[in-house]
Amino acid sequence: MKKIEAIIKPFKLDEVKEALNEMGIKGMTISEVKGYGRQKGHKEIYRGAEYIVDFIPKVKIEIIVDAGMVDAVVTKIRETANTGKIGDGKIFVLPVDEVIRVRTGETGKEAI
Amino acid sequence: MVDVELRAKRDALEYLWRQGLSGQPLLHRHSQLIDDYLVGLFNNCPEANEDMSLVALGGYGRKELFPYSDIDLLLLHAPEAEKLLGPVTEALLYPLWDAGLEVGHGVRTIAACLADARQDFFFQVALLDARYLAGSVPLFNSMHQAFHRELIAGHRQEFLQNMMQHRNERHQRYGMHSYQLEPHIKESRGGFRDIQAMLWVSHALFGLQELRDIEEAGLISPQEKEAFAQARDFLIKIRNRLHYLSGRKNDQMFFEYQEEMAKAFKYSDTRGALGVERFMQDIYRHLQTIATTTDLFFEHVDETLGAPRANPVEQTLEPGITVRQDRLHLTDQALIEKRPHLLMRLFAQAGKTGLEIHHRSRKIVTANLHLVDDRLRHSKRMAKAFFDVLENAQDVQSVLSVMLDTGLLTAYLPEFEQIRALAQHDVYHVFTVDRHLLQTVAELKKLSLSKTPFAGVESPHVLSLAALLHDVGKGYHEDHSQRGSELAAGIGKRLGLTEAETACLSFLVEKHLFLSVTALRRDLEDDAFLRQCAEQIQSPERLTMLYLLSIADAKATGPTAWTEWKGALLLEISLKIAHLLERKDTVLPDKSQGADWMLEQVRALLGKEAPADYGILPEEYLLSFPPEEVAHHLKLREDLKNKQQAVIEPADSTLFWSVLIMAHDSTGLLAKICGTLALHGLNVVSAQIFTWEDGTAVDMLNVRPAAEQTYAEQDWRALGEDLNLALKNRLGLSHRLVDKFRTALRSPGQKNVQAAPRVVIDNVASEQYTIIEVFANDRPGLLYDITRTLADFELNIHRARISSDGDQVVDVFYTLDSFATKINSPSFQQEVSQALLHIAENLGAVKQ
Repeated sequence: MKKIEAIIKPFKLDEVKEALNEMGIKGMTISEVKGYGRQKGHKEIYRGAEYIVDFIPKVKIEIIVDAGMVDAVVTKIRETANTGKIGDGKIFVLPVDEVIRVRTGETGKEAI
Repeated sequence: MVDVELRAKRDALEYLWRQGLSGQPLLHRHSQLIDDYLVGLFNNCPEANEDMSLVALGGYGRKELFPYSDIDLLLLHAPEAEKLLGPVTEALLYPLWDAGLEVGHGVRTIAACLADARQDFFFQVALLDARYLAGSVPLFNSMHQAFHRELIAGHRQEFLQNMMQHRNERHQRYGMHSYQLEPHIKESRGGFRDIQAMLWVSHALFGLQELRDIEEAGLISPQEKEAFAQARDFLIKIRNRLHYLSGRKNDQMFFEYQEEMAKAFKYSDTRGALGVERFMQDIYRHLQTIATTTDLFFEHVDETLGAPRANPVEQTLEPGITVRQDRLHLTDQALIEKRPHLLMRLFAQAGKTGLEIHHRSRKIVTANLHLVDDRLRHSKRMAKAFFDVLENAQDVQSVLSVMLDTGLLTAYLPEFEQIRALAQHDVYHVFTVDRHLLQTVAELKKLSLSKTPFAGVESPHVLSLAALLHDVGKGYHEDHSQRGSELAAGIGKRLGLTEAETACLSFLVEKHLFLSVTALRRDLEDDAFLRQCAEQIQSPERLTMLYLLSIADAKATGPTAWTEWKGALLLEISLKIAHLLERKDTVLPDKSQGADWMLEQVRALLGKEAPADYGILPEEYLLSFPPEEVAHHLKLREDLKNKQQAVIEPADSTLFWSVLIMAHDSTGLLAKICGTLALHGLNVVSAQIFTWEDGTAVDMLNVRPAAEQTYAEQDWRALGEDLNLALKNRLGLSHRLVDKFRTALRSPGQKNVQAAPRVVIDNVASEQYTIIEVFANDRPGLLYDITRTLADFELNIHRARISSDGDQVVDVFYTLDSFATKINSPSFQQEVSQALLHIAENLGAVKQ
């Protein structure tokens, strides 16, 4: 089992969610995150005053999938979240030791 | 086993409830059942004797026993009975515990009762409801008498203050976000505790037992009593079912129960709203009825009983409204009937002074609501007072709240009735729609005080009204923004807004979600899309309003709706749109096409009339106007040449009047223009100034009338004549301005505390220009003085924006010196700055 963490642009969330649903992935954890990266925070000047946006708002999606699905899911997210511009985000794949469903106590694949 | 019997009886009760027994009768039946059972236990207990009596306390004492409520018992005993108490309590309590009931119990002598009651206010009020069940009657009676003699008589004031303090603390504790969405039927504002608080006080202080007695004593009106009783009956039914549904003593309307409860009470979905939303609306309305009635009750009793307040002097604020003991009073019923807008003036005064409205006057407002008819809803005076509340109230939320509670707000804006106490069945919208709207107005006010890039709105009253109305279209079956925008248009018209203001109001209501939704869902680097946004929004002014409204709306929605994260996205999209709009206030040229493309368009438009000297048009000018206007300006230049007269073209555009002025450039041109406009009662809001290379100045100014005059009433011809005189140096602007504003300038007035003027000179923010910002307290002729000072330094103004923030104006000038470079020398900067400060600090006026 693997955990896939994808950091993407907020406006791409709906599309990515939909694409993953089509692949049969129904459950995911989504959070609003702030980040720095190559797309640095920037300074805006408006009517003579400066406004510094020192972090970039992003959305983080977390999914647990069976190891066999990883490539397909990663590819799908990459394709969907891509705009070709700086700040499109990153995808991380992490190993997961165990998954337990709280209600039933099921473990492993059954619990995903 | 005894507990089996009790369980069976309680099951039977639930069965009766399912058959339709509810409300008070169910509570009485339940109390009776427990009474019978306990009396049986007591009488069958061999150790129970004449030195003891069994007493019911609290809700059980009042025979208001909800299905899973605690059963509060007191075993009162004489000191001699001490040894026998063990077996008696066991005989009484074990069966109750076995049956799974929650029992609150105490075993006390009379002396211990009194001592505990002195210590613990909750026990004290529980004793108020003491009811004899079994055992010694004389013992019970002596306790009862001792209690009233020692704790109530002579302590009425203390009792009242304790009760009010507990009530306030409880309201705070249960007023938090989580209890808005899931109201606590017992402890929340307007819940059972408030009902009891009123009854306890009536009982303890005046010996009044029932609601009917309270009404007869004149403490509440028959109408209030009626609504109150109705609300109480409704809430009793709710609480009964809530207990049975939860299977425990639960008094909070948890989200997961709301739908099932609504169904049980036969609320079904309609086209506009879910059944559960209508159901919750009724609950909130009933809670509100009880809250309002008990508020008024406590103020009344406190005033009757309390020590007289300081400051007994009576002060009349205006005919019909006075201040007495720090409360506002309506004093003249005949005057109210003659001039019903006095009802709204009362709230304007409350907003202005920050004083509360006396409870009797609040009742007077409610009693006079029949005066709020269609005519009054169209009255200018009424609207003026209403806007006064929206714009100037110190604590606008509480003033509007009282206005809503008295019924005046819904009488004045009947569109509000639909959304009064309307709940939205999701975990996101924490407040009911009406409260959310009031909160939005308050949040907006906080924003305009704090610094945001978009502070300073030209029509704050339109924005405030938009905040109050943005969700007014909820609860219909259509899209609420669309519906709301239609309703808002009607309201704006009725309240006497100008056509442009009404259009703006309706726009704001329709688009109030636009920025928040777009910021989250669209690619903010998609230039074509951003241009579309800019085209929809049309002007920086509207963008500013939308931006402020979006933030205020989110902040007023609930703890999850506004985050720094969302704020960053909202700021980003707004700044991007702002940059696009700044290029031109109305129509957006296609910047990707560039100046060459513009020239081609203009040439095509003009055909044969096209002049040869296109080179004179600066690039920045070309990119600021659509081709049609550039062509028009070129034609006007011919007039300028022929007549040797400045050309003035006013236009009534959406939010402002715009004035195009073309003249030969000369030193101090803008100062003369500003001075002449001021002389004709026009305030400049923003200005763009361009100079062609042939010396033709093209100034585009947005102006707004200082007094209430319409576009048609403005004498544009006279203005043109005066301007031409001024340009030929034949008009003494300085002395005329002093003359015109003599009264305004001399008025000693109680000036509000004013911020110190300051001047900021900034060479960094703009690549091309030196930006000079002047923060000053507004006065007539100020802009004339500032622009003239800049002209004295031979500084050319290329762009200006004048906005006001309360009493302070912020004038921003994009300038270059006479060599068309930035002001780089620090000593020159210092000199300009000092000269402007001198002007800004001079409250006296247009000098020399």
